[in-house]
Amino acid sequence: MLTINSLSKSFDKGKTYALENVSFNLKAGQVCAIVGESGSGKTTLVRLIAGLERPDHGSIAMNDKIIASLDKFIQPEKRKIGLVFQEYALFPHLTILENVLYGISKVRNKKKKAQEMLDLVGLSDMGKRYPHQLSGGQQQRVALARALAPEPSLLILDEPFSNLDTMLRTQLRNEIFEIIKKTEVTVLFVTHDTQDALSVADEILILQKGKVIQKDVAANLYVKPNTLYVASLFGSTVHINKNLQNAFRCPLKQDCCHAIRNEKIIVSPSSAEADCEYITAAQVIKQIQLGDSTQLVLKLESGEQLTVMTQDKNIADTIYVGFNSKDILEFEQE
Amino acid sequence: MQQGGNNNEAFSLKTRIKRLKRDVNKWSVFTLAIVFFLALPIIFIGVELFSGPGETWGHIVEYLLPDYIWNSLYLVFICSILVLIFGVSSAWFVSRYDFLFRKQMEWLLILPLAIPSYIVGYAYAGIFDYGGSLDLLLRQLGLEFIRIDIMNRAGLAFVLSISLFPYVYVSARAFFLNQANNLLEASKMLGVGERKTFFKLMLPLARPAIVAGLVLVLMEVLNDYGAAKYYGVNTFTTGIFRSWFSLEEPQTAVYLSALLICFIFALILFEKWQVRKIKFTSSKTNSTQIQRNEAKGAVQWMIFLVVFLPILLGFILPVAQLIYWAVITASTVFDMEFVMISLQSFAIAIASAIITVLFALILIYFSKWSTLSTIKNISRIGVLGYAIPGAVIAIGIMIPTLALDKWLINMLGKFGIDTGLIINGTLLALLYAYAVRFLAVAYNPIDSTALKVDNSIPDSSKVLGVGNIRTFFKIDFPLIKTGVFSAVILVFIDVMKELPLTLILKPYHIDTLAVKAFEYASDEMVMEASIPSLFIIFTAMIPVIFLNKLLIKK
Repeated sequence: MLTINSLSKSFDKGKTYALENVSFNLKAGQVCAIVGESGSGKTTLVRLIAGLERPDHGSIAMNDKIIASLDKFIQPEKRKIGLVFQEYALFPHLTILENVLYGISKVRNKKKKAQEMLDLVGLSDMGKRYPHQLSGGQQQRVALARALAPEPSLLILDEPFSNLDTMLRTQLRNEIFEIIKKTEVTVLFVTHDTQDALSVADEILILQKGKVIQKDVAANLYVKPNTLYVASLFGSTVHINKNLQNAFRCPLKQDCCHAIRNEKIIVSPSSAEADCEYITAAQVIKQIQLGDSTQLVLKLESGEQLTVMTQDKNIADTIYVGFNSKDILEFEQE
Repeated sequence: MQQGGNNNEAFSLKTRIKRLKRDVNKWSVFTLAIVFFLALPIIFIGVELFSGPGETWGHIVEYLLPDYIWNSLYLVFICSILVLIFGVSSAWFVSRYDFLFRKQMEWLLILPLAIPSYIVGYAYAGIFDYGGSLDLLLRQLGLEFIRIDIMNRAGLAFVLSISLFPYVYVSARAFFLNQANNLLEASKMLGVGERKTFFKLMLPLARPAIVAGLVLVLMEVLNDYGAAKYYGVNTFTTGIFRSWFSLEEPQTAVYLSALLICFIFALILFEKWQVRKIKFTSSKTNSTQIQRNEAKGAVQWMIFLVVFLPILLGFILPVAQLIYWAVITASTVFDMEFVMISLQSFAIAIASAIITVLFALILIYFSKWSTLSTIKNISRIGVLGYAIPGAVIAIGIMIPTLALDKWLINMLGKFGIDTGLIINGTLLALLYAYAVRFLAVAYNPIDSTALKVDNSIPDSSKVLGVGNIRTFFKIDFPLIKTGVFSAVILVFIDVMKELPLTLILKPYHIDTLAVKAFEYASDEMVMEASIPSLFIIFTAMIPVIFLNKLLIKK
């Protein structure tokens, strides 16, 4: 449905790239999340797809038709892409209904259609109000109704929940995706929050410094991350560097980078009870209670420091930590 | 994973050209065309330089030019000192202290801007003349009148300063009010006294803002014709008029204009150099208002006097003098012809305000839609007209339009059509000149309100399938209305006050209030000049107060 081919964009004439050589496909009807830190190029990517920026290289095609390349550029108003902005961008001088009507002025029965959209997002009787009279969550839903009204073939949500507090966020996320599922639109969903991505996306694309690091289904990203960065995005992870390898006496393949999930690190009062291949004694320097678990800052025999989590309540001063080789994640050297 | 790959290719010449071909649109072309159109007068002055100087040029260089340069430098220097004293002291006191009538004085200090310098000049000439107001007053008190001759260079510098200092006052006050509070508090916490805080901290910090205001003042000083002419001081501008009207030598006017432009660009470079390293003003303004000290006793009276003096000299005295004259001359001046002139003035000012604002809107939005970043930078050239004195713009328009008309008359004459002058000496040329000169006045308020509209708002409209022009009318325009409205008012005031450009370009049968006042004054009927002057002042005053209220509300 959407095909992106070696897309690049630089805002300083090639000194640095906001987006570099990005390629991927999107199947119709899918929900794909784009995850990355701020500055990773997420917003640039969606602006390029929407037609609000022009690529420096590469191409974007929708339904096998090129919409942006080096010699072709379809204006954003001709692309039929729905976009919900981070700051919602509702037209402040128009009512809610007028906002929703805005993109469907040429459609027959537009009033009926707009009202349907408001019903869909649960704001049936808010049509006459102005954006500033609505709460953040309501504005968000108006923005969604407005974007969906022209029946776009692709809907892009740019950090739609970043302006909301955590409680509201989860609730609204579920609501919004309930609504979206009813429309069967293809969705590109930008977020810096992996929880958002995991809970709604069919596929997740990881962007780092303008490059695609990995694109996969959620389960694979956890089990087979491409890089240490991806691994740590989806769960706290310890990098097994040279010093740790020495500490645990576990020689690992050179030229590779290794890590272990925090929950796979075994903490045990004695070396006999621990069922693991690599093990070492450690002194507990600091204990931090975090609700139902405890964070331990350890000083290993070798002098290295290591931070681990445990469910145990009674921790002795000296304990044993270890792990098994099957749990070690291996990546190509970054 | 594919690495790097197309990096070198993406910015190779070939791909750049390809992209340029893709990204050039009609808006880029329109923007360039309009910038060119607005820059034409200056371009013509540049081109005309190549036809060589006029016959009297040698004479002028030998006998008059040193005078022009010396007088202009003198005015620039003395006016700088005076406006800095008046502008910065009043701005500091009204933003730092609370005292008697502070709130009223805060906006009264802006009012001198409503009076064109030449009118302040006429008023002061009347005050200090033999048998003038001061003379009469002193004789009433039984005192001897010691005449102070102000019809000279020093007097001119005083008159220009007292009418232009609000430019410095406004920008310095804005700085003191918005940026300074946390620094002031920090200084206080470090136990530094009031005087040291001002000289060591606030003054250096406010320098970029103050210099920006000062450069505006100096541009107006160099633009002035009416006051310099009346006070008999030879400046570049009076020189341009003399060579155009008396010597009838356009080439000499062109050469003087070119020199004046260099002079002004030197000023602009000076400003850029002044603020080169230092960018003090943080982009976010402090939410906390500046805390004012309450002044009491003798200090209160001292501050009151310091702040009141520029209001007295820049507004109250000249207006009182004009009202006095107006009462004497009302019966002779106020007739049907005067009403007609007022109406013409209004109509011209409104028409040019609307045209200028349209140009500004077109320039701002076309360059935004053109998607090429270089076009946006080039579009700023269109705004430079404000730096160019009115007389220079007038010369730059006069010469090509005369040539064009000659050509048109020849062409049409062949077909037996006799048209007379089509562009030159018509309203068309005058309106065009106002647009060139005052574009920046319209551009700045519109641009700053447009910047407050987040890009995502027009972007949403485009994504929803609505093109640039419809987006502008349905989304952008309603959101920038206040900026557009203040732009119309500001240009209106400036056109009402404008003199040198109007004198050169106005159609023969049309007069404006400014021209009428100037003519009366030149014909030794300065008393009669008071009524058109007061009309200009009152029309300019109402929006000045109104706009200030708007600014304070924000």
